[in-house]
Amino acid sequence: MARILVIEDDPATADHIVASLQAHGHVTTHVADGALGLERATREPFDAATLDRMLPGCDGLSVVEALRARRISLPVLMISALGDVDERIAGLRAGGDDYLVKPFAPEEMAMRIEVLLRRREDPANTATLQVGDLVIDLLRREVTVAGQPVRLLHMEFRLLEFLVRHAGETLSRRIIFEQVWGYYFDPGANLINVHIARLRKKLDRPDRPSAIVTVKGEGYRFDAD
Amino acid sequence: MPIERLHLGQIRRTSTFRLTALFGLVFAVGVIALLGLIYGLSARELTLRTDRILRVEARRLRASSPETLPERITSALAHSTSGLNYFALQSRSGEPIVGNLTIVRSFRFDHPVNIAAQPGAHGPLRVLAIEAPTGETILIARDIAPIVDLRRRILEILIGSGMAIVVLVLGAGVLLSLAPLRRVRDLQATSRAIAAGRFDLRMPVSTRGDELDLFAGTVNTMIEEVERVVAQVKGVTDAVAHDLRTPLAHVRGQLERAIALPDADPRSVALNRAAMVDLDLVLERFGALLRISQLEASGRQAGFTTIPLAPLLDSLCELYEPLAEDAGVALRLGPIPDATIRCDPHLLFEAISNLLDNAIKFSPSGGEVVLGASLDPEGVSLTVRDTGRGLAPHERAAALRRFYRGVDAAGIPGSGLGLSIVAAIVHLHGFTLELGDAAPGLIVRIRAPAA
Repeated sequence: MARILVIEDDPATADHIVASLQAHGHVTTHVADGALGLERATREPFDAATLDRMLPGCDGLSVVEALRARRISLPVLMISALGDVDERIAGLRAGGDDYLVKPFAPEEMAMRIEVLLRRREDPANTATLQVGDLVIDLLRREVTVAGQPVRLLHMEFRLLEFLVRHAGETLSRRIIFEQVWGYYFDPGANLINVHIARLRKKLDRPDRPSAIVTVKGEGYRFDAD
Repeated sequence: MPIERLHLGQIRRTSTFRLTALFGLVFAVGVIALLGLIYGLSARELTLRTDRILRVEARRLRASSPETLPERITSALAHSTSGLNYFALQSRSGEPIVGNLTIVRSFRFDHPVNIAAQPGAHGPLRVLAIEAPTGETILIARDIAPIVDLRRRILEILIGSGMAIVVLVLGAGVLLSLAPLRRVRDLQATSRAIAAGRFDLRMPVSTRGDELDLFAGTVNTMIEEVERVVAQVKGVTDAVAHDLRTPLAHVRGQLERAIALPDADPRSVALNRAAMVDLDLVLERFGALLRISQLEASGRQAGFTTIPLAPLLDSLCELYEPLAEDAGVALRLGPIPDATIRCDPHLLFEAISNLLDNAIKFSPSGGEVVLGASLDPEGVSLTVRDTGRGLAPHERAAALRRFYRGVDAAGIPGSGLGLSIVAAIVHLHGFTLELGDAAPGLIVRIRAPAA
C-alpha cells in the first residue's frame, strides 16, 4: 500500500485515476489545483504522484520544477493530452519520472505508478536478482535457471531484468517497449509478444508453467512463484 | 544561419549587375563617341590650319618672278625660325634645284598630302605641291609632328578612359550587386527555415523600403496567415486530443470496471470485451492520426543530432528479427557504410520500424526482408526491401495517403497509417521517400541529403 497524490483538474479523469489506484490497494489524495498540489506534496510524505500537465493557475511543469527545486524526490507520473515528443521531453526534463498521454487506460496508469514505486524501492547497486530458481547476475550479465546457465542476447537480458525487477506487477506492452527499448511510439502488440515468446522459450522448463504470464488485454506479468 | 560565400557567377547573374553593366556600356559608348568627335574635329582643324599656312606660302611664292623664285625660297628658309617649314624647287624631271626638302615622287598640284617621317631627314610632313610659271614644281611642307603627337595623345586618352570606364562599371556592378545579393541570400535562408516549419521566423525587412522590402513584407503577411492556419489546425488537433480522446478513454475505463464487477454477467463481459477491442482500434487510429498531425505541424529540430548509421540499423534489426522469424521471413541487414546521418534518432527509428513492420507483414512465409544503406555523393540512402507482392505504380502514391490499405491487405492487421507516419517523419527531416519495384516485392527508399 502506498500513498499517492493525484493532481488532476478534470473530475472524470481524477475519478478514474483514484478508482484504479484504490483498486490496486493504494491510498489516494486528490487535489484539483497545481498550487495546492505543490503545497501538499511539500508538506506530506507521499510515495508517488500523478500530475496533470495542463492545470489552471500553476501548470504541471511548474509544479514538478518547484518540487525538484525543493529537493523533493517524489516520483511523479506526468499525464497530458499533449502527446508530442517535445512535450514528453519537456515533462521529463522538468523533473517528471514518467509521462503518460491522454487518453489512457486507468490500468496502464496504475502499472506506471507501480513501476515508479518499485524503482524507488529497488536498490540500484544490487549485484544479483533472484526470483525462485531464476538468478540474474547483473555484473557478469549471466542468467541461470535452477543452476543451469541460459544464454540471452543483450536485449533479451534487459527485457528479463525489467520483468524480474517488477515481478508480480502487470506490465503493458507499451510500458515494456518504453522502459526496455527506450522508444516512445506504439510498435504494435505483436512485436513485444514475439520477444516475450522468445524469452519464454529460453527460460521455460517443460515440467512447469511459464514464469512470464500473459494477462489478457493488459500485458505481461513475471510471477515470483 | 551559415554564411555562404558569394561567387562571381552569382553576382554576374544579378539584375543589379546587369543593369549597371548595361548603363556602363551606354555611358562608355557615349564617352568614346564624344572623345572621338573631339579627336576628329581637332585633327581636322589642325590639318586645315596647316593647309592654310601652306597656301599662304604658296601664294607668296607663286607671285614671284621665275628668276627670283630660287632666291625667294632660300630667303623663306632663312626666315623660318621655327624649323617647321620645308621648301623645295624641283625641275620638271624631279631634280632638286634649291631648298631643304628632297622627295622623289610625283604630286598632284594644289592638293596637300601627308608624308611619313624620314629618319635623319625630316619628321612627318604635310606637303603642298604647286606648279611654278616656268613649269618647275614648288614643294611647300610643314612638319606636323606636334599634330601627330597631339592626335596620338587624344587616342591614348580615348583608349585609357574607355578601359577605365569598363573597369569602373564592372567594379561598381559587383559592389552594387553585393548588398542586394546578400539580402536575397538572407531571404533565401530564412524562407528555407520557414519551409522547414519555423513559422516564428520572418523575412528580414530593412528600413530602405525598396523592392526587396516590399517583396519580403508581402511574404511575411503570407507567412503570418500560414502560421495562423497551422496554429488553428494544431489547436483543433489538441482539442480533438483533449475533448474526444479523453471521453473515449473514460468509456474504456468504465467498460473495464464493468468487466471487473464481481457479479458481472458473462455475456455482458464478452460484449464489453468486444466493445473494448473496437474502442482500442478507434483509439489506435486516433493516436496514429494525431501523431501524423503533430509531426506535420511540428517544425521541431530540437531532437536533431548526428549519429552513426550502423548502431541504429543494428538495433532495428535486433528488434524486428524475432517478429520476422515468427512470420517465417528472413530479416537481413545489408552492408552498412561507415556513415553518419543528421536526424532525430527516435523519429527515424520509428519511421524505419514502420517500414520493417510493413515489409514483414506483407512478405510471404519463406520471403526475405533486407534493411540496407548506401552512401553516394548526394547523401545517404536507407532501403527496406521485401519479397511481397509489391505495389503497382499507380498504387505507390496512394499508399502514402492516410488510411490507404492495399488490395491484398485484407486480413492483415494495421491502421493503414504506418506509411503516412513514415512520410510525415521523412518530410520533417527534409528527406525524400520513394517507393519502387524490387522485382519481386517493394523497395522503400529514404534519401537523406549529405550533411
